[in-house]
Amino acid sequence: MSTLYFEDIEEGDEVAPLDLFLTKDQVRRYAKTAGMYFPRFTDDDGARAEGLPGMIAPGVMSMGLLARMISDWNPAATITRIGTTFRSPVLPDRNIHLRGAVTQKNEADHSAECDIWMENDDGERWVIGTVTINLPTKS
Amino acid sequence: MALEFDRSMIGQVFDETVFPPVTTEEIVEFATALGETNPLYIDETAAGKGLYGGLVAPPTFVTKLRAKKFTPDHLPKFGKVGFDGGRDLAIHAPVRPGDQLTMLSTIHDIYEKTGRTGSMYFIVIRNEVKNQKGEKVAVIDHRIMQR
Repeated sequence: MSTLYFEDIEEGDEVAPLDLFLTKDQVRRYAKTAGMYFPRFTDDDGARAEGLPGMIAPGVMSMGLLARMISDWNPAATITRIGTTFRSPVLPDRNIHLRGAVTQKNEADHSAECDIWMENDDGERWVIGTVTINLPTKS
Repeated sequence: MALEFDRSMIGQVFDETVFPPVTTEEIVEFATALGETNPLYIDETAAGKGLYGGLVAPPTFVTKLRAKKFTPDHLPKFGKVGFDGGRDLAIHAPVRPGDQLTMLSTIHDIYEKTGRTGSMYFIVIRNEVKNQKGEKVAVIDHRIMQR
């Protein structure tokens, strides 16, 4: 974890990847702290009763993990906008791979746009999105 | 099915919820549950020397705020099943311990999209979050899909 300045990043740069094994306990802990302790996020039977294949992670947890990827990559970046589309349910007890790339730098306000996404082991993108970050500058 | 509903409900505030003051513990727990290790979110002492002069909440913290009423009373049902389609979050000011947040909810948009599996309806609920100083903290657009 070290500060990246606006001058340090280039369009096309990768955001440092974050690979996780998302456990059911992690999902339950998030659901509890986020006030979302509902069956679909806490137990397989409860989730199946709602027609899901098993318990899933809340969409906003995926969004939070993508924001964490940015924070791990550059703790000095300030997120001013983040948008995510939940394309497919995120099932725990599996590997998840969080990825991102810088798509545009804006000289005027020292901000940058990045594509961000979460994929599974087969490269299926469960969550996709974009983020705008403000960066410190050396000048 | 034609997309028929009372368009005057768009933009009208249907809920205002005032939340209890944000605590340091809930910020740290939220950050830790996401595996954040950035001192800004988990370490009061280190955060005091940082960008904000104190601990702040991670950017998606505001998504945990629950309005008393999630949708307006008279919102028609456009489909049989609903899905969480996504979120767009604009962040204007950091959330700090002690902040008393207020959230106003409106229907921002309702639209139809036709894809290969038929028609889907999108309902966009907008939550605007302010703090006790009246500063705009965040705007959250929540897309609900119905089919």
